[in-house]
Amino acid sequence: MAPFYWGLYFFESVYDMTERFDKHVLDNGMTILGEHMSQVGSVAFTFQLPCGAAQFEKGCCGAGAIITDWIFRGAGKMDSRALIDALDGLGLHRNCSVSAGFLSMGAALEASNLEKAIGLYSDVILRPSLETEQFELSKMLAANDIISLDDDPRSKVMMALREQFYPKPLGNPAMGKLEDVESMTVDQVAAIVKQRFNLSKATFAIAGKYDFATVVKQLESLFDNEQPEIDTAIATGETGEKYTHLQHEGAQVHIGLMTSTVTVQNPDYYNVMAAVSVLSGGMSSRLFTEVREKRGLCYAVGASYNGLKQAAGISCYAGTTPDKAQETIDVIIAEFDRLGKDITESEIARAKVGLKSSLIMQSESSSSRANGIAGDHYLLGRVRSIEEIKEKLEEVSVETVTSFLKNNKFDGYTVVTIGPESVKV
Amino acid sequence: MEFKKKVLDNGLTIIGEVNEAALSAAVGFFCKTGSRDETAEISGVSHFLEHMMFKGTEKMSALQVNEEFDHLGAKFNAFTSEENTVYYAAVLPEYLQECSSLWSQLMRPSLRDDDFNIEKNVIKEEIAMYKDLPQFDVMDQCRALHFKGHPCGNSVLGTNESIDALTADQMREYFGHRYAPNNMIVACCGNFDFDGLCSLVDSACGKWTSDDAPREISTCAGSLEKTRQTKDTLVCEHICLLSGAVSMQDPRRYAGSLLSMIVGDQTGSRYFWALVDNALAEVAAMHYETMDGTGCIYSYFRCNPENAEKVMEVARNIFTELEKDGVNNDELQKAKNKVLSAITIKSEQPMGRLTNLGLNWVYSQKYRSVSDDVEAIKAVTVEDVNALIKDYPLSKFTNFTLGPKA
Repeated sequence: MAPFYWGLYFFESVYDMTERFDKHVLDNGMTILGEHMSQVGSVAFTFQLPCGAAQFEKGCCGAGAIITDWIFRGAGKMDSRALIDALDGLGLHRNCSVSAGFLSMGAALEASNLEKAIGLYSDVILRPSLETEQFELSKMLAANDIISLDDDPRSKVMMALREQFYPKPLGNPAMGKLEDVESMTVDQVAAIVKQRFNLSKATFAIAGKYDFATVVKQLESLFDNEQPEIDTAIATGETGEKYTHLQHEGAQVHIGLMTSTVTVQNPDYYNVMAAVSVLSGGMSSRLFTEVREKRGLCYAVGASYNGLKQAAGISCYAGTTPDKAQETIDVIIAEFDRLGKDITESEIARAKVGLKSSLIMQSESSSSRANGIAGDHYLLGRVRSIEEIKEKLEEVSVETVTSFLKNNKFDGYTVVTIGPESVKV
Repeated sequence: MEFKKKVLDNGLTIIGEVNEAALSAAVGFFCKTGSRDETAEISGVSHFLEHMMFKGTEKMSALQVNEEFDHLGAKFNAFTSEENTVYYAAVLPEYLQECSSLWSQLMRPSLRDDDFNIEKNVIKEEIAMYKDLPQFDVMDQCRALHFKGHPCGNSVLGTNESIDALTADQMREYFGHRYAPNNMIVACCGNFDFDGLCSLVDSACGKWTSDDAPREISTCAGSLEKTRQTKDTLVCEHICLLSGAVSMQDPRRYAGSLLSMIVGDQTGSRYFWALVDNALAEVAAMHYETMDGTGCIYSYFRCNPENAEKVMEVARNIFTELEKDGVNNDELQKAKNKVLSAITIKSEQPMGRLTNLGLNWVYSQKYRSVSDDVEAIKAVTVEDVNALIKDYPLSKFTNFTLGPKA
C-alpha cells in the first residue's frame, strides 16, 4: 500500500472491493483511524486514552469510574449543565467506559453534527473543569454503583470471575473497590486525569459518513500539542483463587467459569473463535443443547471469548436454581473437556458461517466498526479488514481446531458462584 | 427503500421494505398475542408457547431446528410481550429464503409432550432469573398493581404455580386460535426479493385456516395504589411509578415519546438534573410504552434506601412543575435531536428496522417509513406535549417499591 498525498495531509489508505481505511498520525503521536461506510447516514467515533483500570496505582481501583462521570461535569468555558445541553443538543448517543488497558469515550450521531461533536470532546479531554464539589458527587455515584452490584448477582459474578482469573491487576474491576473509591481524594484523581489523558498514546477511530481530510484538519488544530512521555506497560502478578463462593440468598446460583486461551495476536485465535462457537455460538451449540435443551437446567447459559492484550480466556455464565447447580457445573465442565475430542465437520461449518455473518452484520453499524478498528489498533497495532478476517475463518477446519485444542488443553478452571448454595469443583 | 405488501387468501399479510444496498436481511413472524390475551388458568402460556415453537415440527426435531438456523448463520430469537409474540432472524441475503422457509414451518409446531415437560423447567428457571433482577421484578409487579384486574396487568412469565398447572392440551388449544393466519403478519426488510418471499410463504402457509382471535380492548384508569415490598437480599431501593398514557394507535404517541425523553432520558433530562447529577439516585429513567388501545409511562429509580423519601419528593415536584408550567421549547428541541438520531442509527441495520416495521403494521395496518416517523417527531410542538401532560398527568401514578427491610 503506497502512501500518497492528498491536499495538505499525509494519508495511508487501503482500498479493496468493499472498504477503505484511513490513517494519519499527528506529530504528538495520536493515531487517527477511519473506515468510510457508503451505505450509512450516521457516523461514530471513539477516543481511546491510556487510562485503563489495570493502570491505576494501588488504592485507586475505580478511579476510571469516577473520571468518566467527573469529566462531563463541566469543560472549557461550559459548566456542567451547559456541557450536557450542548452534547444532548447534537443528539449524540454517547458512550464512555473503562477497560483494563484504556478509557474510551465516543458517540454515534447523525453525520452533519460531527464537527461540533468533536469540538465538544476536545474540551472534555483537554480542558475538563474537575471541580472539587463535582468530584464528591461523582465519587458518591461510583460508590453507590458498587454497592448496588449486590442487587445484580449476575453481573457481580462475572466481574468477580475476571478479577480472580486474570493475573493482577488485569482483572481489576473498572467499577472499582468500595474502600478505594471512598478513600480517593480529588487531588489524586485529578493527577490521574492529567497524567493519563496523554495524547501520545491515544487513538481516535471513526467509521461511517465523514470526510477524512476535514476530520484530520480539525483534530490537528485541536489536539496536536506536545505531550510528555508516558509508560503504558502493565506489570502483572499472580492470579486469584480457583474457586470462590459468595453467599447470597437469592433465587438462583449464578455460576461463572473461565479458562485460559490464546490472545488475539496469536495465529490460533481463529481456531479458538471457532471452538467457542462450537461450544456456545448458536442454539445448536453444545452448551445450549446439553445444559438447556436436553436437561432443562438453565434458562441462561453461554460462553464467550474474553480477550485482553496480555491474556485471554473463555468465560462461561449459567444461572440455575440451587438444586440444579452442581449438575449444571458438572455438565458445563464435561463439555469443555470433551471439546477437543469429537468436533464434527458440520459443527465447524455452522461455526464458520455464524462467525462470518456476525462479521458482515457488524459491518453495517458505524458504532461497531469504530470500536472494531480502535480495538484492532490497540490489540494488534493494525486494523484487520473484513476480508482478512473472512479469509482467516475460511482456513479453519476440524483438523486445525482439534489439533489446537489437543496441543493447548484447558489447564483448569477458575470458578466463582454467588447464591444460596456453593458447588464442588 | 421500497414498500411492498401482499395479503394471502387466508388473511396472512406479508409486508416488506426492500433496500438493495443493505448487506443483510431480516425476517419476522409477528403474532398478535400475549399475556393480555390469557385467562388466569393459562397464565404464562404465550411465553411458554414461544419457547415451544422452537421445538420442531412433525418432520423436524428441536436439535434439527437449531442446527438449521445455525447452518444459515442466522442471528435469531423471539420475544413475548403483553401483546405480541415475535419471531425474528437476521441473515445474509443469500440465506433469506431458506430462513423464511424454516420460520414458516416452525409456525406449525408439533408441541410434543416430552418437549413440553422439559421446557417447563427452563421456564421456571427464567422466572427465577428475573426474581434475582429487582429492576425487572419491580416493574412487573408495578404493572400488575396498576392494571389491577385488567388484562394488561397479566404477567408475561406467569408464576411457578401457573406454569406447573399448565397442560400441553391447554397450550395446543390456545395455539389453535391465536396463531391463525389472520392474526399474524410476516415482515421483512433489507436486501431481499419480495416476490420470491411471497411465493414461498404462500406455498408454506397458504393452507392455514383463519379463526377468530379476539382481544378485549378496554381502557384502564390504573389503580393508583402504593405498595412497598421488602426482601432480605436487597441493598438498594428500587422504585417504580406507572401512570397512564396514549395508545399505539394515537397520533399523540410521538409527543409521548418526546415527553419521556424530556423527563427521564439518561442524560440532560429533568430526572437527570434533579436526581442523578446530585447523586440522590444512581438511576432515574422514564420509559413510555405504547399499547393496544392504551399506554403507560414507567419511571424507575434506584437509590440508597435513605434517599428514597427524598427521591419521591423530588419526582413529585417535577410532576407538579410540568403540570403547572409545561415543557419549554429548548428541552423539546434537544429531545427531538436525541430521538431523531436514535431512529437514524437504529434503522441503518435491517434487524434494527424490522420490529418497528412489523409492529406499526400490527397496530395500525399502515406502512410508516423512517421518514414518516422523522416528520412526525419534527412536527410535535410544545403545545402538543403540554396538552398531553394535562390529559395524562404524571402525578397520578401507581407506585410499587422493592427494598431492604428497614
